[in-house]
Amino acid sequence: MTEPNSPIDSLGELMRAAQQGDGASYLELLRTITPRIRQVIRRQRGFAGIAEVEDLVQDVLLSVHTVRATYDPARPFGPWLLAIVRHRLVDGARRYARIARREIHADEEDVTFSEPEANDDISELGDAAALHEAVRALPEGQRQAIELLKLRELSLKEAAQVSGTSVGALKVATHRAMAALRRTLGKERE
Amino acid sequence: MNTNDLIDNLAAGLEPVAPLWPPGKRAAAWSLGAALYVSLLVIGMSSGGTGTDGAGAMFWVPQIAAIVTGLVASAAAFASVVPGLPKQSRAWAAAAALVWLGTLVVASPGDVDWATVPVASHEWICVGVIVVGGAPLMLALMLMLRHGAPLSPATTAALAALAVGTLANVGACLSLPHANGAITFAWHGGVVLALVVVAAVSGSLVFAWPARSRSNDGFTRNGR
Repeated sequence: MTEPNSPIDSLGELMRAAQQGDGASYLELLRTITPRIRQVIRRQRGFAGIAEVEDLVQDVLLSVHTVRATYDPARPFGPWLLAIVRHRLVDGARRYARIARREIHADEEDVTFSEPEANDDISELGDAAALHEAVRALPEGQRQAIELLKLRELSLKEAAQVSGTSVGALKVATHRAMAALRRTLGKERE
Repeated sequence: MNTNDLIDNLAAGLEPVAPLWPPGKRAAAWSLGAALYVSLLVIGMSSGGTGTDGAGAMFWVPQIAAIVTGLVASAAAFASVVPGLPKQSRAWAAAAALVWLGTLVVASPGDVDWATVPVASHEWICVGVIVVGGAPLMLALMLMLRHGAPLSPATTAALAALAVGTLANVGACLSLPHANGAITFAWHGGVVLALVVVAAVSGSLVFAWPARSRSNDGFTRNGR
């Protein structure tokens, strides 16, 4: 993306035309750079979901649009674009951390009634051995998240300190682990 | 809105924009205006005598260092809002600021009584000149910088404050008599440092990407 003679440098011509108000050139430019932006974001944010990646891609596109006047046609386009992507990624990470700090993690409480049919199947006591096996089969990071948060019942902050990962990464790992456990245990019940 | 729709919308609503001047050229334009403004400030304030009466190298060297710091810092501030430019200019600005402070220390008399420096109450006038007198310069610089990309708001704001503070400090030094370099070092240096810190802390309030409305994916600030 940053090599002086890479194809992306030809996009500088499109941006120059876009600065002059050429909508067709701008459309071509944005359509060309979007997959590259998406690729960079996926590489940098390996744990991000599709929606989060697209959110960041759109942030970058809007930023490119906002500051298109700062592009100097005499300079290569690649470093200009990459600088915006990097800074928006950092902004995105800060925003994510800010939201994570404000969030209060609450597990879904299952209400148990005396009538068995009123209870959902989550509140039933399942097969402990199957659950144990399913947890063991999880990838290392997800297993650790489950053990710290669900079995040892640590807070997110405590679990992050113990595991040496971020709160955000723990949340993602927990979410994925729970989905995997539901899939595994659901299959077994069927 | 999905990404393809966003792209179509951005292209459909495209308006021509004039590419910004290179950072050096923009810094030169602002510095020229700043020089004129500081000159008028000095002329306006020094009707009863200036701080340059009988001044020698010990006075002028710090002033030259301050001017150089202001110019380098303004160039670095303008460079900091252009994506993809090298960041060395920021280091040059920091180095220039240290040299300026160093010249003030060197200009301090050897037998200076540092205990009297903090109680030099007449220096509050200089503080006023630097802060209030520098405000129009800061406003102009901020407005110019906001046309760029808010990549590093704290750094940009700190560099802007350094540029304004050092040039306004020259105005204060030229228009008001000063006892010695130690007082200038402590008071002027302190004020400029405080301005830099305040600007760095509040930089994100001034330089920010336009907020995105999640409902329509449009911008809701700055009219962008």
